[in-house]
Amino acid sequence: MTSGILLACGSLVSLTGALGGAALPRPWRVPVSATLIATACVVESVAAIDVLATGQTANWHSSQVLPLTGASLALTPLGAIFVVLVALVAVPAAIYWIGYAPHGMSARPTAGSFAVFITGLLIVPAAASVATFMFLWEMMALTSLALVLTDQGRREAARSAGVWYGVITHVGAAFILAAFLILAAHSGGQSFTALESHARALAPGVRATIFLLALVGFGSKAGVVPFHVWLPKAHPEAPSPVSALMSGAMVALGVYGIVLFGDVLLGGGPVWWWLIVLTLGAVSALFGSLHAANSTDLKKLLAYSTTDNIGLVLLALGASGLFSATGHARLGALSLVAALVLLVNHAMFKGALFLAAGSVQVATGTRDLDELGGLLRRMPQTGALFLVAAASICAMPPLNGFVGEWLLFQSLLHGVNLGNTAGDIAIPVAVAALALTAGLTIVAFVKATGVGFLGRPRSPGAEVALEVPLSMRMSTGLLVTMCVVAGVAPMVILPAVERAVRAALPGVGSAPLVHGVRLQLVSVRGVLAPTVLAVSLVVAVAVVVFARRALARRRVVRVTEVWGCGRELVTARMQYTATSFAEPVQRVFDDVLRPVRDIDVSHVAESRYVIESMSYRSHVNDQIENALYLPVIRAIRRWGQFARRLQPGSVHRYLAYGLVALVVTLVVVAVLG
Amino acid sequence: MSLLTAWRTVRGTRRVSETLRQNPDAVAGPSEIVGSLQLRHVDAGSCNGCELEITSAFGPVYDTERFGARLVASPRHADGLIVTGPVTHNMVGPLRKTLEATPRPCVVIALGDCARDCGVFRGGYGVIGAVEDVIDVDVTIPGCPPDPTIIIQALRGLTRR
Repeated sequence: MTSGILLACGSLVSLTGALGGAALPRPWRVPVSATLIATACVVESVAAIDVLATGQTANWHSSQVLPLTGASLALTPLGAIFVVLVALVAVPAAIYWIGYAPHGMSARPTAGSFAVFITGLLIVPAAASVATFMFLWEMMALTSLALVLTDQGRREAARSAGVWYGVITHVGAAFILAAFLILAAHSGGQSFTALESHARALAPGVRATIFLLALVGFGSKAGVVPFHVWLPKAHPEAPSPVSALMSGAMVALGVYGIVLFGDVLLGGGPVWWWLIVLTLGAVSALFGSLHAANSTDLKKLLAYSTTDNIGLVLLALGASGLFSATGHARLGALSLVAALVLLVNHAMFKGALFLAAGSVQVATGTRDLDELGGLLRRMPQTGALFLVAAASICAMPPLNGFVGEWLLFQSLLHGVNLGNTAGDIAIPVAVAALALTAGLTIVAFVKATGVGFLGRPRSPGAEVALEVPLSMRMSTGLLVTMCVVAGVAPMVILPAVERAVRAALPGVGSAPLVHGVRLQLVSVRGVLAPTVLAVSLVVAVAVVVFARRALARRRVVRVTEVWGCGRELVTARMQYTATSFAEPVQRVFDDVLRPVRDIDVSHVAESRYVIESMSYRSHVNDQIENALYLPVIRAIRRWGQFARRLQPGSVHRYLAYGLVALVVTLVVVAVLG
Repeated sequence: MSLLTAWRTVRGTRRVSETLRQNPDAVAGPSEIVGSLQLRHVDAGSCNGCELEITSAFGPVYDTERFGARLVASPRHADGLIVTGPVTHNMVGPLRKTLEATPRPCVVIALGDCARDCGVFRGGYGVIGAVEDVIDVDVTIPGCPPDPTIIIQALRGLTRR
């Protein structure tokens, strides 16, 4: 009951923040709004943690808020973990906003949208009826669309990104609505408990239709291939705190929707459902990581990497469903734990990376990696934070990314002899996909960190970059600290995740996953002691460093300049660029990526042996966008051209239409009457 | 068929590398370098005659690598430099930089008459002087160009193999 009140209070505070904060004059607007948002997040997460600790669902219903249906919220342990996840990103994003606001995020509409967006994110996982869910879902979608369009006055790309995002997210919402409507029509009620109790008795065909509709709808929000095309357009164009929230939290809610439908409302399904989820996940992971390795725009790289990470989560989700459907309930639970841990981790490190990328953009005025460089010297704190977050996303121990991928690997590697041929083939392939993805992710982030932060600055902007305001560094630091804590001591988050999984998959035993400082997997052999691992790593590094110092003391160290092949002048252009670093990968995956390379050579008029100038351009297009979306857009444009002929702007023609319509109606009435 | 021909050629070809005297005469160089010698080649203005002979010395017939000497691609990997040609104006800086970039201890070999005393290019308008005039030289190999056997002899003297 108390947590129900807290839930309502939290929503109220954040709405107050949204409306009150945005109305204030400029110097007060952002700090007040940000403080209120952070407070709301804290209150909501207290409610959520209470739910996770007690396992009791918090309910709240009001018939005054939404007309006709009333709003009903119910915070289940599964929803609670997502509320905590949103709060983990939203609090740093709000703090970051204080410093970031002067860079085009302080206008009233933007401030208001930002607060309403976070409110939506926070309450969506608590929605307990179809109307409440769709209302909050749309609130979240529309405000995030408004935020993507923040810069549309200045940049054409932002407008185009807004159109892509708006269309895909609303087509997705239509699919979700269709799934809900079919389910509600068969259940005679619109509350989730009513849906849940009737869904199991439905015909398999209806259940499958509902699941597939939900998978497409929520998959488009989660950025799963082939619905991912909006991510690399909208994430770079949105202001950085918004991209952090969209990538860390909003995309995670897409996964929440899939879990909600697959595991909670429909209560699991046949093997083929989950094979589809598994395949989508594996393809997304590979495609996302491959494009991330080939992107030169820092935020676009992070956006593709989001597709990659969500792919891994879906892979875990698919494996979980597959295990449950073949009667391995505990292994299924373990995979779901892996999926949720991956998701929470992703929120932490991707939030940190987007915030750090925003700091880089503010400091240098660009996010093109080929124009950055040497930032670790100019912005040491932001650089160090980016480095740690990048190590975490590459699953380096002792950071949190490692724990998530370890859990996923363990659950997949133990998924043998399922008694289902398709499943037995799919799991080893999934392991291979996961391994390749992990490697490509490392390429992407070695590139982002190495080209962006090491070496020499490649542009005047990078040369004069200054460290960003304290609030921006602090918030990024907060997320990076979470990465470290969740990596060294995952026992802080694992029991909560376990509780959520037990709520989503009833019928799983009660043996806990965490024993003291060790993670001891239930029902399979697998032990990890992250704290011991972290301590031993630190000790090993310290020993090596001290030993080296002690040995080096006897030698004379001679410092010379960087070897530049004996050239007199070493310039920034001699360094590896992001493009050249990714070139070998691009070449290996030529058939998938189909890069476009243009080389223009113009010769001196007198002789073809002397070159006057030479230009090289290379570009990697999204092949799925080219193959799936462009034909549809072209077809719609053709229809539009046709419709234009009907509406040429001539008043006479419109009057004629009216007359013809009247005559036709009269004729029809006369004939039928 | 061509594969079979290739196999016959491989089988039919006897040992091609020259047999050399077993015990080389020691050549004075840094005493730390024994057994293995990684060399970076610097062309300070050579006519490329010496380069041909170096290529030949490291080719399959003379095969200097069996005595521990190797050519490497960067001074950062090297124990020493092989410098050929008289030092020209354009190459003074790069030569000094290459030496500076080589870890110590480092052996500098001036290979060929031009490197030793400017040879036929002495007094040329682009020439600054012999290698010795620019950096300290440990070993000189005479000849215009030096025969691969002489190059090997000097390198074996350094590696003592």
